[in-house]
Amino acid sequence: MSSSSSSSSSPPCPKKMITLKSSDGETFEIEEIAALQSKTLENMIDENCASTPIPLPNVKGKILAKVVEFCTKHAEAGADAETLRAWDAEFVGVEHAIVFDYILAANFLEIPTLLDLACESVAEMIKGKTPDEIRKFFNINNAFSPEEEEDVRRQNQWAFE
Amino acid sequence: MDWERDYIGAATKASSAAPPPCTAASSSSDDNDDAAAKRGKKRGSYNCGHCGLPKKGHSCHVGSSHSPAPDSSSAAATSSTLPVSAAAASSALAASASTVTVMPSALSSAARPPQSPPPLLPHHPISHLRCALSFDDLDVRADEEEEDIDEVEPDLDERDRDFVDGDADAGGLPARCLWEVLRRLPPAELLAVARVYKGWRETSRRVWWAAEDLKLRVPSRAQLYFVGSVLNKCPELVRLSLWMESDVDATMLACIAFSCPNLESVEISTSSNAVNRITGDELGRFVADKRCLTCLKMEGCSNLGGLVLSSSSLSTLWLSDLNSLSKMVFNCPNLREISLEFSRNGNDCTDLIATVDGLGRSCPILQNIHIASVRLSHAVVLALTASNLRGLRMLSLVLGSEITDASVAAIASSFSDLELLDLSGSSISDSGIGMICNVFPETLLRLLLALCPNISSSGIQFAIAQLPLLELVECGMTVCDSNDESLISDEAINHGMEKRPNSNLHLIHQKLIIKHSKLKKLSLWGCSGLDALYLNCPELNDLNLNAYKNLLTDRLLIQCPSLENVYASGCQELLIEVIQNQVNNNSFPMENHLPFKRLADGSKRVRVPHFLCQQQFDVYKKQRRRPPCNVLAE
Repeated sequence: MSSSSSSSSSPPCPKKMITLKSSDGETFEIEEIAALQSKTLENMIDENCASTPIPLPNVKGKILAKVVEFCTKHAEAGADAETLRAWDAEFVGVEHAIVFDYILAANFLEIPTLLDLACESVAEMIKGKTPDEIRKFFNINNAFSPEEEEDVRRQNQWAFE
Repeated sequence: MDWERDYIGAATKASSAAPPPCTAASSSSDDNDDAAAKRGKKRGSYNCGHCGLPKKGHSCHVGSSHSPAPDSSSAAATSSTLPVSAAAASSALAASASTVTVMPSALSSAARPPQSPPPLLPHHPISHLRCALSFDDLDVRADEEEEDIDEVEPDLDERDRDFVDGDADAGGLPARCLWEVLRRLPPAELLAVARVYKGWRETSRRVWWAAEDLKLRVPSRAQLYFVGSVLNKCPELVRLSLWMESDVDATMLACIAFSCPNLESVEISTSSNAVNRITGDELGRFVADKRCLTCLKMEGCSNLGGLVLSSSSLSTLWLSDLNSLSKMVFNCPNLREISLEFSRNGNDCTDLIATVDGLGRSCPILQNIHIASVRLSHAVVLALTASNLRGLRMLSLVLGSEITDASVAAIASSFSDLELLDLSGSSISDSGIGMICNVFPETLLRLLLALCPNISSSGIQFAIAQLPLLELVECGMTVCDSNDESLISDEAINHGMEKRPNSNLHLIHQKLIIKHSKLKKLSLWGCSGLDALYLNCPELNDLNLNAYKNLLTDRLLIQCPSLENVYASGCQELLIEVIQNQVNNNSFPMENHLPFKRLADGSKRVRVPHFLCQQQFDVYKKQRRRPPCNVLAE
């Protein structure tokens, strides 16, 4: 690297920033390089629609902030795989409702890495739980009639050996 | 599920000697009755659904011992999801793999990955003899399978669109996202979630429908009904892999044939206590009926009896544990890869010459041949070379102690483009190696000569020097004093490899100097005749020195900066230390890629090229950091 006294012969790469606007009106700035992880944003950048703040009506501010954090972290070149994995694990180590929001955001913005990470973590949450526990965990009302439930249970009886 | 009732009825009639199939270990007897009725037993169920004994006066303990614990294995599958990319290694199957790989079936066939050209045989026959050298990462197929499971967004057609936009109540996830989550679950869980909510059931059903790849462990108690139910859920199945812990016979084949019309690849592995009762006729019929079957792999084929396989689609065939086949005929004009492993307990009487002769005649485009049999002989090699297999690229004839230098001459004169040659366990000598080096320097990538007692270190050295493209060399237990009892591994003895008298006294106190620019894996396990080793291989990744007993610590020099793994179990402590010191001091500094200029005051300034941004410069930093080398000694 050039020493501090001499001027660097290369001008620092200008970091192009993109502005995103969440459903509740908050704005967030994200580097273009990080934004390229989202196919939706990538398309917009390609078509030169990215100069004004991009409205994202499906994503709340709280979630969008985290998504920006995720993309920025994953766009960093210096991180090695293990620290990134640890960071990812921490990222999804939150309440499942928030992880659901990540899934929705990743689905909408088409961010495959985030979608993968969030879906895997929900899958992990599901594994090992009985249907009742799953329902309780995810707050789902049982919409099966007793006959239907019996039918499904019998069909899959061998799975519960 | 009418078809199931009829079908299972037929099965139970056929196997009347076998105990009735066991269903889930639900405790209430009502459920047992229901399940039994569903299974189509016409009489009342007099037998306990758990263990098959008559119910009268019987208290069943089987159910309680197998009560479902949340994270223990269920009958269907273990609940651990192995990354499906670990598919290739058979050890992955053994380590409780049951996974469902989902590829959306709505994709057009063009999007499906192209038929892969048959790559290397992934697991070598005498892998138990070769302790630690693994070829898994050389297996192109493993990599391609990884690509297969790359997630692709499904194309949703009209009816699916309703599904997607529909009710998003359950757990707050729209169906599309739920699909993404559920497809990551192993089969057992996938079935469990069907009970959670209607929408989940629908989605899990779709995940099954879309499944193209299924790996299932069939535990010893579960029978046909189990496999039938699972296969019934995934009609689009293309690849099926079963790890059988219960006996398997032709009814399993029939079940597979019935449920999965599009099946292209079938793999049946057996655990040590499962018996494979499939006969040659039944297998032949299965293969002939399945018009799109391209890959068949089966273990435990000791009951085949005789085998006539006719298929115009089959391109890969692996059969192991073969024993005393009265005839083996392969009418498979598209066969590219064949692997036949015969049992090693010495009582195999298959006529190999006729088999090989037939292979040469009816499978003209064979590229990879692997035969493991103690009855391999020079005559068999002659039969092979007499055939017109111009496309042969990989030839592996192992365990044949009657294969001699004359055989090598025949091979060298008939097949000029070999990429892999494996003559482990043969009697070839250094002059055989010489012949190999004369003919194959431009093509040979892998040379395997383990357990060849008549080869010396100078032969090995010569081979490595003369074959510039070599990437893998396996010379386990070649240069060794075979009178040393401790060297012969238990596995070698178990597999009938007798201690062969070593008449060459000069095969001790040998040294090996290896300098090769492309070599990636080198295996010298058990070479106790070597006491000096000098290695200078810039690309070497794997070095196997297991059971390397007599190496003098001051005559070991390893200069291999790319070394990732050194296997040194069975070596003396001091030697392991020396190895560790050597490999960890091998961090040669990377060349400085960036131009620098010398300034007037004598200092050097490194100039960052102006076209590089911050991020690309970081890539250089990454390259410099190599992972430390593992020295593995148990």
